[in-house]
Amino acid sequence: MSSSYAILCKIFKKDKFVVSELIAQLIGVGHQYKDGPEIFKGVTFNIEKGSFHFLTGPSGSGKSSLLKILYLGLKPVWGTLNLFGEDTLKMKPTLLPLIRQKIGVVFQEFKLLDHLKVVDNVSLPLRVRGLETRRGYKHAQELLDWVGLGDCFEKYPPSLSGGQKQRVAIARAIITRPQLLLADEPTGNMDDEMAMKLLHLFEELNKTGTAILIATHNQRLLEKLPYPQFTIKEGTIVKLITKKVR
Amino acid sequence: MRSRRDLPLKKDIAARFVPKIVALMVYLGTLCLVFTLFLVHSTHVWEKQFTMDLSIEIPIFSETPPNTIQSRVLELLNRTPGVRYATAVPQKEMATLFRSLLGEEVSTGLFPLPVIIDVSLDGKERIDTHVLETHLKNISPQIQLVDHRAWQSQVSNLIHTSVWLALIVAFLILFAALATTIFATRTSLLIHRQVIEVLSLVGAPNSYIATQFQMNAFKQGLLASSFGSFFAFLTFWGLSSLLEKVGFSFIVNSSFFFYAICIFVFAPFFTACAMMLSVRWAVMKALRI
Ligand SMILES: Nc1ncnc2c1ncn2[C@@H]1O[C@H](COP(=O)(O)OP(=O)(O)O)[C@@H](O)[C@H]1O
Ligand SMILES: [Mg+2]
Repeated sequence: MSSSYAILCKIFKKDKFVVSELIAQLIGVGHQYKDGPEIFKGVTFNIEKGSFHFLTGPSGSGKSSLLKILYLGLKPVWGTLNLFGEDTLKMKPTLLPLIRQKIGVVFQEFKLLDHLKVVDNVSLPLRVRGLETRRGYKHAQELLDWVGLGDCFEKYPPSLSGGQKQRVAIARAIITRPQLLLADEPTGNMDDEMAMKLLHLFEELNKTGTAILIATHNQRLLEKLPYPQFTIKEGTIVKLITKKVR
Repeated sequence: MRSRRDLPLKKDIAARFVPKIVALMVYLGTLCLVFTLFLVHSTHVWEKQFTMDLSIEIPIFSETPPNTIQSRVLELLNRTPGVRYATAVPQKEMATLFRSLLGEEVSTGLFPLPVIIDVSLDGKERIDTHVLETHLKNISPQIQLVDHRAWQSQVSNLIHTSVWLALIVAFLILFAALATTIFATRTSLLIHRQVIEVLSLVGAPNSYIATQFQMNAFKQGLLASSFGSFFAFLTFWGLSSLLEKVGFSFIVNSSFFFYAICIFVFAPFFTACAMMLSVRWAVMKALRI
């Protein structure tokens, strides 16, 4: 784990994007699925560079939906969302991939590509940015070692356990050393020990300047880590709770 | 080419039928084009062989002796601007012609043969056949002027129309092949929408996704159309050797053969490129929504 910071710094050197202090800005964001109820409304908060937050709330409260709005997979019905200084609802469609390239996402359902080897899955974000495959592999191998899956390089996702898939998904999400990491229940498929280990990985990533937002309803984890939380309460409002240090 | 395998396009259902259809279309299309080329080439050959543009028939039975008429007609023709030369078809040749028409037993010495004068025009000066005809009728009202150019241009028109028709058919075949490719691409986009979603979520620009589809289309198209073109060539080879046996000896040794080979060689590249571009267009259009 000691080398992880160096690895991330190496990747960081390739990052030529302008770093803005304010990564995400939500103003009065609300959403309602077609024929569904209103899931939240009037959500207003900021995500600053290098911050670490949890997003909490009971199951079905809209955590995944909010993350989906943040990674531009869902257009909110109400409100304004600024990402990296761009008004995402008014920007040119060609900017969409550029913004997504600054965001790493660990999806609740992993979204790994079953027909690609683990290493190809992990290096995918580098490939779509035009990086040479061989160099992508080098980074992927380093990251797979980092998440403890160094021996799964050549395997295909269907042969992995839930927890392993989740770690592959994490490796893929951080390989580009994103400015914002969104993780949807990233510890949902593993025991508390593994979960803590992973959260420490996130903390290390955070130290390199990545803003992190983790959606979870794992209370034990929340109690152990001293980071502020955004909570979706009664499906309508998001609050910032500053936690006491453990 | 590792980086281009992010989409499992080779396992598509579309991957199974598109190459077959494209191969068939290219087979038909190249044969159609080669047929067009054959028509164009034949027209050129035939037009070159036709130097005789007008002919004048001097009647057998008239008050004035044919020889006098003949010399007067020749004199008139040689004075007419636009005439390169005018010669009477030798009586021997006429006799041979008549014998072949009437049979060996008929002795051609029994009756006088008509005199036919071949008139070759230089093509520089326009000749007014009506004026010429009036002058000829003054010499003898029974003289017949036959303007070959009239039916020659009719045949030419017919051939030109055929050439256009064949080109239109070839174009329609190409269009059908491309339409099939585009429909298959749309199906493929639907089949792979989850993979495409993931690619897009990890920051792939639409052009990256389109490139994957278009490279696949190019490879598939090149392979399939090479097959089609190869079998078209075999068919062409078979037909031309058959035609040669029947007496068309000019096929293999002519420039036409060379151009036909060019069509068979370039058709696969052209088709593959056209497929690639239409697939890119279809993918970019679908992803923009
Ligand atoms: N694609 C969808 N279409 C319609 N309703 C949805 C969709 N996704 C989620 N929902 C509904 O929105 C609500 C919030 O879901 P979600 O964001 O997944 O919550 P959480 O992640 O906190 O469990 C739930 O009631 C869910 O049923
Ligand atoms: Mg969820």
